[in-house]
Amino acid sequence: MDFELPAEDHPRRKPIRDWFESNPRPTPRQLAEAGFIVPHWPRPWGLEADAELQLIIDQEMKRAGAFPPRNPVAINNCAQSLLSHGTEAQRQRFLGPALSGEETWCMLFSEPSGGSDLSNLRTLARREGDHYVVRGHKIWTSLAHKAKVGVLVARTAPDLPKHKGLSQFLVDMDTPGIRIRPIIDMSGHENEYNEVFLEDVRIPADRLLGKEGEGWLLSTTQLQTERVALSRPGAIWGHGPSARELVEGLAEIGALDDGALRDEAADVYIEGEILRLLAYRSLSDRMNARTPGPEGAIHKMLAAPHGQRVVELAKRAQGPRGMIAGEKPFPTQLEHGDDPYSDWDYAFWFSPAVTLGVGTQEILKNVVAERMLGLPRELDPTAQLPWSEARRKAS
Amino acid sequence: MDFSLNEDNLLLRESARTFLEKEISLARLQVPGATVTDAGYAANWSKIVGLGWQGLVIDEAYDGLGLSCIELAMILGEMGRTLAPSPFLGTLFGTWALQKGGSDEQKKTILPGVAAGTTKLALAVAESSGTADGPCREARAHRHGGGYRLTGAKSFVIDGAAADWLVVAAHDDAAGRREFFLVDAGQAGVQADLLAWRDVTREVCDLRLKDAEGERLALQDDELWPWLRDRILFALATESAAGTQRVLEMTTDYAKERVAFGKPIGGYQAIKHSLADMLGRAECSTVGVLYAAWALSEEHPRASLAAAMAKAFACEAYVAAAHRSIQIFGAIGFTWEMVNHLYYKRARANAELFGSPRTQRARVIEMVEKKAA
Repeated sequence: MDFELPAEDHPRRKPIRDWFESNPRPTPRQLAEAGFIVPHWPRPWGLEADAELQLIIDQEMKRAGAFPPRNPVAINNCAQSLLSHGTEAQRQRFLGPALSGEETWCMLFSEPSGGSDLSNLRTLARREGDHYVVRGHKIWTSLAHKAKVGVLVARTAPDLPKHKGLSQFLVDMDTPGIRIRPIIDMSGHENEYNEVFLEDVRIPADRLLGKEGEGWLLSTTQLQTERVALSRPGAIWGHGPSARELVEGLAEIGALDDGALRDEAADVYIEGEILRLLAYRSLSDRMNARTPGPEGAIHKMLAAPHGQRVVELAKRAQGPRGMIAGEKPFPTQLEHGDDPYSDWDYAFWFSPAVTLGVGTQEILKNVVAERMLGLPRELDPTAQLPWSEARRKAS
Repeated sequence: MDFSLNEDNLLLRESARTFLEKEISLARLQVPGATVTDAGYAANWSKIVGLGWQGLVIDEAYDGLGLSCIELAMILGEMGRTLAPSPFLGTLFGTWALQKGGSDEQKKTILPGVAAGTTKLALAVAESSGTADGPCREARAHRHGGGYRLTGAKSFVIDGAAADWLVVAAHDDAAGRREFFLVDAGQAGVQADLLAWRDVTREVCDLRLKDAEGERLALQDDELWPWLRDRILFALATESAAGTQRVLEMTTDYAKERVAFGKPIGGYQAIKHSLADMLGRAECSTVGVLYAAWALSEEHPRASLAAAMAKAFACEAYVAAAHRSIQIFGAIGFTWEMVNHLYYKRARANAELFGSPRTQRARVIEMVEKKAA
């Protein structure tokens, strides 16, 4: 057993460091062409990197101060499906601009009728000659207002059971009939989410991803990201402030002199350290070619509420000043350029979202209890019925 | 980088589990009113001695196996999982104290006997308030001839009544500070009074010392105690993490079997969510304990922090899980005949001994502050 990360003088670091030395300010395209964006993918997109090399690349990229393009939907979730299920033409058309961040992607998944019960979605795609014609309404779509490409899941066979009649499409977001409306969330910050209305949107048939009926398989795979990175526990799904920063900040403003707050800060700190270890352990399992244990599945269940505690404690330490918009809790608060995620105030007002997005906390607990502990599954009385019949019965 | 146990670790754990599942029974403790004297304490010890676990952390020079905290965690975890009543923990604490603090002569006199299974030890360090972090007010040592005489009281001594030799913390009048002394438990001036300890899987006593002969350990308190405390906290955390895991398993099994309103209670979200939370905390405890085991075995700069974090987290998670388990079993889980209360009582005792989770959190934040300053 060894809890150290790959050493500073690890031989596999050398070629990576050399690359960053000869490319001191790499553009996203250069990073993508070097295979550093998806190192675990096959060439030419990646480097067929094992987990250790992925970790080293991730660390060296941070050390060099290089930022990967911000295109999470493509890079972390959906673009992998083009490798397994896409056509060669789709790969050539989409992957390059996706990995370099030149084309932002979004996921057109959730609908107003229900987010947790995703497979019950109502957006219909009807085949008409060499096009599909789509009508429906999507919601909670991150980045839709910036995206060039949408990964759409829609129902192509309403008379099959709910999970079986779904298909996925790669949609140009500027296709006529697509209307985007921003959702201003309770943080009041520039919108993160959108509603997307699809009215007779015509999608060429060659934009079908995989086969008709594979939509559910693709969607569930895409929601489980496989990329190895040094994830850290903290607010905003780990993008925001961490418990280590919290304790530093509280010490700075003297808030740790309050015994009750001090105890809670210690508790949150310990939780953060342990969650960090938990994330490293699943990483280490993959680096050593072992199947990760349950920690992978339980990590979000634990990390999301942890992030909420981190920002809640900072907010509480502010007293009434914490209610003033944009007020910083800590004078020398770490901010990373114009990254809104490093803003404590934003992280706090955004925090209710982290136990809702990408699976509510309640659904996650069901999943953990059913898959990890083998407790009886929730029965979905509509799972086996033709979707159209279930829909009629419900209304 | 490999956060996982190696083949040898897993094998050791597996063999310990097989042995304990076969040999250790809590049946006699499930009879209402049972006390630790019904627990098969001595018989369990002879079985454990047969496997040589008492010599695990003793250096090879003193006939031990010289293994690290990682190997020890495999055994301690299984002991915690089964609540195996025996003087293992007290002997371990005494062994650590001697091994780190004893002179070569003291070690030569005592440790081979421990390794051979003929000598049992205990560590008497806590005051009646429960604190073990000094200073010592209730027991004093004064020079007498070539050695010392100890008088006063020690509290919450684990396995003290069964021990052949004691390592006792007392205020050294001449030095003006707390020191540790090796004391023969068999002499007239040493009396152990068993406590009516709620955790009946463990023997805990108070000690009364009256002019008891003692020999000072070579290492001073300020060098010995921090080292020893890290290991004691780690040991209690290790037992607790494994106990939590066991509680989770038995409660999950029960939730799958017990039917109410036509389906297993494990099918209801109130129960599912509760068990999912328990699993999350159990995994956190396990990884925290393994990190502490590794840090201690490496004498890593973060070892003290790791041990305090593990104790704080794992003990609190254990108490919560054992309490929750009683609720999920329903009224039957509240009866003496079930093992649920044995786990709950062990959890509570582990949480309070050698500094509560809150005390550990206070230590953690102090360490973090110091590092930042």
